[in-house]
Amino acid sequence: MQGSSFRRSSVAGLPAGSGSALPALLLVGLFFIVPVVALLLRSVTDPEPGLQNYAALFGSGTYVRVFLNTFLVASVVTAVTILVAFPVAWMLAIMPPALGSIVFGIIILSMWTNLLTRTYAWMVLLQRTGVINRALMGLGIIHEPLPLINNLAGVTIGMVYIMLPFMILPLVGTLRAIDPMTLRAAALCGASPFEAFRRILLPLSLPGIAAGGLMVFVMSLGYFVTPALLGGTSNMMLAEMIAQTVQSLLNWGLGSAAAFVLLVVTMALYAIQLRLVGAKRAGGGI
Amino acid sequence: MLLDYDRLGWLRVALVGFTAAVAAFLLLPVVFIVLLSFGSSRWLAFPPPGWTLKWYQQLLADPTWIDAALTSARIAAMAAILAVVIGLFASFSLVRGEFRGRQVLRGLLLTPMVLPVVVFAIAIYAFFLRIGLAGTTVGFVIAHTILALPFAIIPITAALEGFDKSIEDAAIICGASPLQARLRITLPSIRIGIFSAAIFSFLASWDEVVVAIFMASPTLQTLPVKIWGSLRADLSPVVAAASSLLVGLTLCLMIVTALLRRKLSR
Amino acid sequence: MTRPFLSIRAVRKTFGAFVAVHDVTIDVPKGEFLTFLGPSGSGKSTTLYAIAGFQDPSSGDVLLEDRSLLSVPSHKRNIGMVFQRYTLFPHLSVAENVAFPLRVRRRPDGEVKRKVADMLALVRLENFADRHPGALSGGQQQRVALARALAYDPPILLMDEPLSALDKKLRQEIQAEIRRIHRETGVTILYVTHDQEEALHLSDRIALFREGRIEQIGTGEDLYLRPASEFVAGFIGNSNFLSAEHLQTADGASTIRLADGSIVTGVKTTTSFGQGQKVRMMVRPEAFRLTPGPTSAALAVEIVDTAFFGDRRRVVARTAGGDEIDVRPTSDAKEADSTAPSGQRIFFDPASAFLFPA
Repeated sequence: MQGSSFRRSSVAGLPAGSGSALPALLLVGLFFIVPVVALLLRSVTDPEPGLQNYAALFGSGTYVRVFLNTFLVASVVTAVTILVAFPVAWMLAIMPPALGSIVFGIIILSMWTNLLTRTYAWMVLLQRTGVINRALMGLGIIHEPLPLINNLAGVTIGMVYIMLPFMILPLVGTLRAIDPMTLRAAALCGASPFEAFRRILLPLSLPGIAAGGLMVFVMSLGYFVTPALLGGTSNMMLAEMIAQTVQSLLNWGLGSAAAFVLLVVTMALYAIQLRLVGAKRAGGGI
Repeated sequence: MLLDYDRLGWLRVALVGFTAAVAAFLLLPVVFIVLLSFGSSRWLAFPPPGWTLKWYQQLLADPTWIDAALTSARIAAMAAILAVVIGLFASFSLVRGEFRGRQVLRGLLLTPMVLPVVVFAIAIYAFFLRIGLAGTTVGFVIAHTILALPFAIIPITAALEGFDKSIEDAAIICGASPLQARLRITLPSIRIGIFSAAIFSFLASWDEVVVAIFMASPTLQTLPVKIWGSLRADLSPVVAAASSLLVGLTLCLMIVTALLRRKLSR
Repeated sequence: MTRPFLSIRAVRKTFGAFVAVHDVTIDVPKGEFLTFLGPSGSGKSTTLYAIAGFQDPSSGDVLLEDRSLLSVPSHKRNIGMVFQRYTLFPHLSVAENVAFPLRVRRRPDGEVKRKVADMLALVRLENFADRHPGALSGGQQQRVALARALAYDPPILLMDEPLSALDKKLRQEIQAEIRRIHRETGVTILYVTHDQEEALHLSDRIALFREGRIEQIGTGEDLYLRPASEFVAGFIGNSNFLSAEHLQTADGASTIRLADGSIVTGVKTTTSFGQGQKVRMMVRPEAFRLTPGPTSAALAVEIVDTAFFGDRRRVVARTAGGDEIDVRPTSDAKEADSTAPSGQRIFFDPASAFLFPA
């Protein structure tokens, strides 16, 4: 019904109903916006005004390789996560609830378990003498231990593990919103299961795949802990490089410039995601 | 028929098998770490040559681990309380407010969740170095409250959007003052959202590593920083013991959450 | 003359340049059941919210027993209200919901218990006291809301489309409940609806709203039998409109020429029309007959369709001018059986027709 709300005059000078957001706005403004902007300014003022930090960043083969590697890892992780998550989400959407709740429980347990704990487990599992290599050798599949850690393989396994819940959970929502009747109709129209999948189910779930995939990609781009522990020195990712530049090299100018690049890319992709799913649903992974 | 569980035929066998494999993959590290923490091998051999509790004894005998856990709990509790209270106020404005830029404000308050933590970490670290809050509990709490805020705002706004404003109007017309109506009717009605907000914000701080690595000082260390330090040094089984306790804590939290939700939504 | 119980005086509400309510004035005697009827956006709900205190009128006043309510905040107006949606407090039991207004008024425990029992008896939900709202049907929830709104004996009960979320059968059931409760408690009720049947069924008087103004106020019979305008005639009951040209009027009875050239005399009118002025003639579907009476006028039509409704028959006819006419003869339903060839005639008493300006 039109205007069934109270329209009393608001606190002087403030737009109606905005007053109670003030503490949050102050907090985020003072301790989030100000520090981040100050950091970005530092990228063009430290050690002296100018764009030399960006020139150094894009002029050096080392740093360009870090950028490329970051995009490579994020792309691989996103692709694998989508491929693994889709069938699981599909089943979770239609499974009997009793069975589904077990899988949901496992997903939540994995998601809520401390990030370092999970990464630590993978470090032990994947090491040269770890369980996985021993098992594969024991089965006679391989004769030499595979290099599974401190390289792209390790980072991918660890990151996919962490990202899966963020892909599966929203995708279940998308798939549940699809009316099973449409697929029954497709079958009656003569579509084989493969055709029905290609022409109906996949297109209808594409918005969810795109939104989830974008979220996973964005999160992977800036991820620090898992790549730092499971990746190798030769394929360092951007977040680790930023931390190292600031913490070990104390090169704040260069670190800030790299942080700015990461921020711009992330925010641009976030903006695309907002357009895809709307501001309300963004970041619905929790 | 692709969305009819009973009519998938052989496809169902394949897909259910795949789902089970993924579930096993998700469960593997968690179970593995718990088993490992009881193994006697210093070198984390698996299956372990024998079973022991000595890693737990070492863990509990080491005051730095206990200190770190208490510090984490203290900071996470404060950050969660602040995030829920500030987030609750902000949510009323975001859901009920009638002003331009409401969506922009929402986007702004949720940004800390989207921005890579490492960017925020070095930014707030530099800022706190300048104003003298680096390495202090206050600084920790402020930084973690900002990171936890989106995790408080999302469930509370969702609950508030699902709550019919007419119910609050009804309370007022029944004679409750606007404040009474909010305290006695609206807040109890959205308690599941507030409860989720508290859990999520607590976890956001409790598990936070990146900001903590920068903010930590030799005298102020959270649990994740302590684990991080140990991981970088060596893969000691003591970390497995600590991790197992964290898994146990997560399980408890899940059970408590499930029970409370069932009780609250009755 | 006795002072009105509730007096709405020249209430006006604007939202920016949009005028939602134009100077509405109504006096309501104690114990009356008054319905605000009108299409959505006609200002009926806005007027109700001004009385509830959810919206402050831009100008005008609302007086209860001669005291202005406007400076009183909603929660101190002591008004009862039932909303469009079920507004039960989801975390409180049925009894606690009904007790809520008494608890915030800090009434003693004994009185609260007694009153809650009385109210639940009034809405016939004694056995549901300990249930939670989620376990009730929509109709039961609205009855609890009614009990809650009446628990503190408010002098006025506002009802904002309380039945719109219910299905048809339930709606009729609760309408009967509301009538009974109005009879038993004697509370003054202001009721908002867009459903004319509901308004006719429930109300002592109906105020018909249109674009922020009251088009007509009166009993259901007034509005049905003596509509003040084409809008009222069209909104209350079913009606057919035929274009015509006014020829002359004498003693409140007019002579007109219909589009097909036929002349009709003795049409009732309250307005004065010029000669040759374009007019619209309204005839109720049940005023048509399939056989001529002593004073009836004839209309040449083509029968398009007939349908059987059990208690009556419905005929759709088309005039030479192409207008479709809804015909529901009451007494001679049998005759509609004879399927009519093109060129058949239907009949009506001109005294039961109305003229409005085109």
